[in-house]
Amino acid sequence: YAPSWGESALVLCVDVGFSMSNSGPGQEPPFEQAKKVIQKFVKRQVFAENKDELGLVLFGSDATKNNLAKDGQYQNIYVHRNLMIPDFGLLEEIQNDIHPGGQQGDWLDALVVCMDLLQNETLGKKYDRLNIAVLTDLDSPVSPDQLDIITGNLKRAGITLQFFLPFPMDTDEAGGGDVGGSGPPHGGKGLSREQQQGLDLVKQVMMSLDEEDGLDEVQTFSDAIEKLSVFKHVEKRPMAWPCTLTIGSCLTIKIVGYKAVCEERPRKSWSVVDAQTHQKEDVKRDVVYCVDDDEETEVPKDDTIQGFRYGSDIVPFSKVDQEQMKYKTDGKSFAVLGFAKQSLVVHHFMGNQILKVFAPKDDEHAGVALSALIRALDELKMVAVVRYVYARNGNPQVGAAFPCIKEKYECLMYVQLPFMEDLRQYTFPSLENNKKYTPSENQLSVVDSLIDSMMLVEENEDGEKKDLFKVNHIPNPQYQRLFQCLHHRALNPSAPLPPVEPWLITALQRPQAVAARSRAPLENMKKLFPLKEVVKKKELKTSKELFGKGDVYRTAVWKQVGLQNSCLEKGRSTEQLFRKGKVYRTVVWKQGGLQNNCLETGRSTEQLFGNREVYRTAVWKQGGLQNSCLETGRSTEQLFRKGKVYRTAVWKQGGLQNSCLETGRSTEQLFRKGKVYRTPVWKQGGLQNSCLETGRSTEQLFGNREVYRTAVWKQGGLQNSGLVTGRTGFQILNIIVTSLSHIINAILRD
Amino acid sequence: MAEWNAYYQNEEEDLDGEEGEESGVDYKTTGRDSLVFLVDASKEMFIKEESGELTPFDMTMQCVRSVYTSKIISSDKDLVALVFYGTEQSKNPRNSFKHVYVYHDLDTPGAGRVQDVDGLRGEDGAKVAAKTMGSGKTNLGEALWCCSNLYSDIKLRLSHKRLMIFTCRDSPHEGDSERDRQARTKAGDLKETGVVIDLMHLMKPGGFDVSIFFCDVVSPPEDDAELGLQMEPCVKLEDLKKRVRAKEMKKRSIARLNLCLGEGMNVAVGVYITALQARKPNPIKLFKDNNEPVRTKTRLYHTQTGSLLLPSDTKRAQVYASKQIVMEKDEVDVIKKFSDPGLELIGFKPMERLKLHHHLRSPVFIYPEEEMVTGSACMFTALLKRCSERNVFALCKYTRIRNSPPRFLALVPQREELDEGQAQIAAPGFHGIFLPYADDIRTLDTPQLPTASDSQVDKMKEIVQKLRFKYRCDAFENPVLQKHFRNLEALALDLMAPEEIEDHTMPKIEMMDERLGSLAQEFKDLVYPADYNPEGKTANKRKPAEAAGGAEKKPKVDISEDELRGHVQKNTLHKLTVPILKDACKQFGVKVTGTKKQELIDALTAQLAN
Repeated sequence: YAPSWGESALVLCVDVGFSMSNSGPGQEPPFEQAKKVIQKFVKRQVFAENKDELGLVLFGSDATKNNLAKDGQYQNIYVHRNLMIPDFGLLEEIQNDIHPGGQQGDWLDALVVCMDLLQNETLGKKYDRLNIAVLTDLDSPVSPDQLDIITGNLKRAGITLQFFLPFPMDTDEAGGGDVGGSGPPHGGKGLSREQQQGLDLVKQVMMSLDEEDGLDEVQTFSDAIEKLSVFKHVEKRPMAWPCTLTIGSCLTIKIVGYKAVCEERPRKSWSVVDAQTHQKEDVKRDVVYCVDDDEETEVPKDDTIQGFRYGSDIVPFSKVDQEQMKYKTDGKSFAVLGFAKQSLVVHHFMGNQILKVFAPKDDEHAGVALSALIRALDELKMVAVVRYVYARNGNPQVGAAFPCIKEKYECLMYVQLPFMEDLRQYTFPSLENNKKYTPSENQLSVVDSLIDSMMLVEENEDGEKKDLFKVNHIPNPQYQRLFQCLHHRALNPSAPLPPVEPWLITALQRPQAVAARSRAPLENMKKLFPLKEVVKKKELKTSKELFGKGDVYRTAVWKQVGLQNSCLEKGRSTEQLFRKGKVYRTVVWKQGGLQNNCLETGRSTEQLFGNREVYRTAVWKQGGLQNSCLETGRSTEQLFRKGKVYRTAVWKQGGLQNSCLETGRSTEQLFRKGKVYRTPVWKQGGLQNSCLETGRSTEQLFGNREVYRTAVWKQGGLQNSGLVTGRTGFQILNIIVTSLSHIINAILRD
Repeated sequence: MAEWNAYYQNEEEDLDGEEGEESGVDYKTTGRDSLVFLVDASKEMFIKEESGELTPFDMTMQCVRSVYTSKIISSDKDLVALVFYGTEQSKNPRNSFKHVYVYHDLDTPGAGRVQDVDGLRGEDGAKVAAKTMGSGKTNLGEALWCCSNLYSDIKLRLSHKRLMIFTCRDSPHEGDSERDRQARTKAGDLKETGVVIDLMHLMKPGGFDVSIFFCDVVSPPEDDAELGLQMEPCVKLEDLKKRVRAKEMKKRSIARLNLCLGEGMNVAVGVYITALQARKPNPIKLFKDNNEPVRTKTRLYHTQTGSLLLPSDTKRAQVYASKQIVMEKDEVDVIKKFSDPGLELIGFKPMERLKLHHHLRSPVFIYPEEEMVTGSACMFTALLKRCSERNVFALCKYTRIRNSPPRFLALVPQREELDEGQAQIAAPGFHGIFLPYADDIRTLDTPQLPTASDSQVDKMKEIVQKLRFKYRCDAFENPVLQKHFRNLEALALDLMAPEEIEDHTMPKIEMMDERLGSLAQEFKDLVYPADYNPEGKTANKRKPAEAAGGAEKKPKVDISEDELRGHVQKNTLHKLTVPILKDACKQFGVKVTGTKKQELIDALTAQLAN
């Protein structure tokens, strides 16, 4: 229905009378259906967080509570809630406190109460829309004598009306309920006399309010439930961007731009709260800056200045200077640079929005001028290439304004075009000119039959085209899912999250008819196009695959506690592993701080270490030495630079470690330097020196020798296989062996 | 105007980082790209062709410069070297190679290097070159050997190694078969270590014959089709730049996925980004005493206990209708997951069903990955051919990474197009255009206005025809970026003032006016009445405010506590304006983290509800 940008006030007027609980066998009573409708509606309103106010009036209830109830009038009408912005409280009330009543309520009386409520509560405030939604089975006697007065009042107050009924409106006198195709109400019986009379009244009221269109506002419960399943994103009030379109210096046309297409993002972001207290205030983010020296000296923010990289140079460039020297624009602009062929502009649209540009609402001259431009462009198949600046000092864009002529309106559609710097003009190897890839006639014809079978746009007998899969009618599944989970969590704080709703899954899949049709052509394709997955040894990703390689590994590793198998994963997924939650982490802590760095590739470890005191302490306890093993040369280097603490710990471990402070290459050099270093190294035993090397250089250093393997096993070589990240993990044995042989060879040479 | 402004503060602000976006390439995981320019410095390179405007050497230097600057702007971690061969003087790391002059070692380009190359441009540049290097004997084999040493001296991981030979001589050793053989061997060695060798051959009187010598030196073309070296030599600087640009960047896919046509029918494809908005790089923080970069450490503290918080000590929360809903961090991640990464074919639609306004972000490019699934290229080619011939696009569901929610892509076929010189101007593959969901399309109130008459439209057509030009997508430089980098360059090189930029985004008013002549006035006479001012109100509106010096602010409205509590109770705080809410926050000492209205309201509600 038409968008309403302002706030509205709405009263839900729900029949809870005893007839609402009647239903045929296997059918859901109208009361339950009505409850679902209002639940879904309120839920949607709560998450949309729009400012519409909502009231809830029940009729047919046992209790009576309303302003008009006097002298036996307006009985069994209960104002459950005055106009308020709906909240979770209301949702809970609907779920728990609203029960079917044992009375009959006069829906016209209830309507009067709702009107009274709306009028009193909205007094002195401005609303764009006042609405009453009546949910009833119409199965109760009413006194229609006041009907004209009621409709008159509704009209005068500008209140719109909606009806939701358990049966479709065209369930007419036939009584059998076989008209309109939908099931008859109340278990096979036709409409009761009251319902018949009620339906006539409803029609009368709706027609008098809005003539023929009024009947569109009468819907069935099931229709409403279906529609309300979708969380509608809050419609934003379109922001007008008034500007002038210029062509040269003397031709100007007043315009107004609106965002027409733009990726809608959630309005709310997640805030970080303390896991125990759930208080946002308990968590404080603290940013410190430190100099890259041994002490890791912190410097106050005020002692830092801003700089930029210019290739290999670092250029200090203060904010003030930057502001002064930067490119400036002198205000909004929509200036035509020239006109170009449409065909030259398509592809490579940039930016993340489409603007529609109109003439101002009340300016018909601008309208005519813009229309002339739009039509001229349309007839010539051209676009205006324009310089677009949103506001003073905004970044200029170059974009294309396309003509757009619709039945109801015409406008320019603006889209940003790329700058030279944005383009990556890749060349790709030819496909069609490559004999290896040229498909045969047979292959092409089976592709044709696939395309035929999977066409999503069909023509029916009347020549009308029907699109089976309109993406722009699908609500963004991300938000549907988010709100589903939020709602579930709000009402069931300790339950796990529910699965994705089935309707959403279906909405994202190939339509069933298409899937069925395409089955045969797909089978043919399979026969004609042999596809074979290439297995690359290098890309073994999961520990399972890795472990499959040999029992020796497996047993040894499992003994080392299940944890290590995460080491066999690629850095990235390990990282994610850690994020997964407490279970893993606890295990890790138990193992002592050490292992957890094993689980990370150099990069994330680096971050880990940089970030947290706790980790570090754990690491010291384990002895400074090992952690260098956990790193490839490069990240170790960075690690060690970080501070004295490390170094001291390392010195304590003996002379060897200082080599850890260096990258593989310089270690090598170190070793050459002299005996002083060397002796402590031997003492430390052969194993560690693998730490001193990056995987690659160690590998290169020496060949594989059987003799040393035994030594490695004794050293418990498998443990450090855990210390290596997945990819190298595969080569672990080799590395250990070669590193050992390195040392022994060195001794021999000595 | 908040909404509009939001456009300019980009996704980076989104703390959730929603999709981490498909931006740059992570060098830490993939290693760095490297490029060596191996430039002929023989006498022939300094001779201007009769028709040419520049000498081959000058053209090469301009080209090198433009690569340097574009690397600085778009990929400043890449390594570039500049080596001359056929020089008189020698200069290389161990000075073991004669007639090879390493002008720039493999390193990231900086301002100094750009300046160096500038020094080699033009006639003065030729003199400098003659003085420092001179022209001498050519030994390409030595030069290639020297280059291979440059590569092996680099301790960083290199992911892509490319070497470009710039020359106008098709027979560098003038028939000396021994040196030819040596060069071929060295080229073979280089290629074996993964270096791709390209030839950027320049115009030579009598034509450049690749088959004499160079065909054995350069790497075979990627597609090992018979094509390859048919390309004509470059005459124009533009062509050379284009050719270098096309080669200079390594194609990197942001994802390698399966395009699933149906059960068990997976075609492997790579997803590439061929256009990405280049942005000003983020500033880095420097310690003011020594201008060294400082490291930023971010930690989470517990406000009460002061202890450090681990990620597991925190959860995530959102507030709706004053109720806080709490989830674990991984729950927040996992609710974004719908399906495993991949492209899933939904069906096909005629091209006219794809609307111009179906645009959310720049499209991706899809090309088969034969190395992952053999047979992919063939099926892909068949699909591409038939989609293109039948004028249909494929509709696909696209899940980029594990926890990214699905988007639908229109896969629009594009067949390969070559220009006269056999250079590719359109690559074969599918453009993946992001389609909007229902939420992404805004409902607008469209104004009802009269339309133009035929005579008015015809007049405008004349105007349009007068201002026609041939659009080229690489014709516009981003003035903001250019200015920024010129500024940095000036600061880095201690120039007096930054080099001026030419702003192509500004309309050439004078030229346009001249071309239009009386047409503009004629059109105005046709559409605007005499008393109508088309520049209109927008300008007028602003004036009074400016005249008053902008001091005329709205009077402050204070709000009483009772009123405020009333609003809180009725949930009607939103009816107040943001300034009032802000004042109220101050008044009641409510700390607010954000400035969004909802945040102000949430904060006030939290404070006053108790």
